[in-house]
Amino acid sequence: VEPAPRQDLLVTAHYGRLQRLCRLLLGDPQEADDVVQEVFLKAHEAEQLGRAPTNWGAWLTRVAVNGCRDRHRAGGWVRFRLRGARLDEVPLVALTPAPSDVAIGEDTRRRIWTAFRALPRRQQEVFALRHIEEQPTLAVAEALGLSPGSVKRHLFRAMRALRSRLGDAR
Amino acid sequence: VSRCLSDEALERGLAELASVAERAHLSGCAACTARHRQIRAELALITGVLRDTPEPRTRAVPTRRRWVPATMALAAVAAALLIWVEVAVWRAVTPVPPTMQPQEVAAILSDVSAALFSVSGDPPIAPAEDPHPSLEVMAQELDRALTGGEP
Repeated sequence: VEPAPRQDLLVTAHYGRLQRLCRLLLGDPQEADDVVQEVFLKAHEAEQLGRAPTNWGAWLTRVAVNGCRDRHRAGGWVRFRLRGARLDEVPLVALTPAPSDVAIGEDTRRRIWTAFRALPRRQQEVFALRHIEEQPTLAVAEALGLSPGSVKRHLFRAMRALRSRLGDAR
Repeated sequence: VSRCLSDEALERGLAELASVAERAHLSGCAACTARHRQIRAELALITGVLRDTPEPRTRAVPTRRRWVPATMALAAVAAALLIWVEVAVWRAVTPVPPTMQPQEVAAILSDVSAALFSVSGDPPIAPAEDPHPSLEVMAQELDRALTGGEP
């Protein structure tokens, strides 16, 4: 068992990564931030109780994914009420688009996000961990409690669905 | 010469699900390698957007407006259901009271009265003259006898 790192080191190393992951899985920055806070609270408790995991990164990822799933379950009714209520875009942080946004194109960006949100939740998780987090298949399987074969199948279906939807749009 | 791989087979390869034969073909086919590279580029674009750009925010319609028509429709359905129960169901299971003419009512009442005051089941006999007339009656009879019916 590796020595339990100090809490601030954990936060420095993993906060941004977990925040991005939770935002990707939840689609709500405020809720994602809440989940990340809860994750680090649990990490602190685990550290205090002497239950420090051997691999903090994988442990934090697993707890974050589970926290997002809990949020999805708890907020199902709220999400249902807001479903279909998305109309038009509101200007984001900056009034002028970032260079990457200009290069990609607003329409393409919107289509990619829409296609990703249309994926089943499990496929979103697998795609996010495998491609966005760039974790190996075994780590993804461990974080999600799946077999490696199942991770590969979910990834294949996610890639196929994403490309298919983007292809339809072209 | 083996046939080139489909897009699905190339995607299987990217998900580490390709068979040995498909991997062997891919390594030796320039056309499939180019398409494979193109698919990877598309996935890189998707990944880049999801990782580096914020999700397009959308404006939510106030939910109250969406509740009003739904609530009204629900209330209308409930009212229609109540009316239907009243008209079709309740009246079907509840016997309608018969409407009778006054003569029928009188006949029934007289039958009931006869049955109630009959001893043997026959209608009661009209009462005969009282064998024990009162003093007042006796006085009247005596008066009639003495005066010959004249006042």
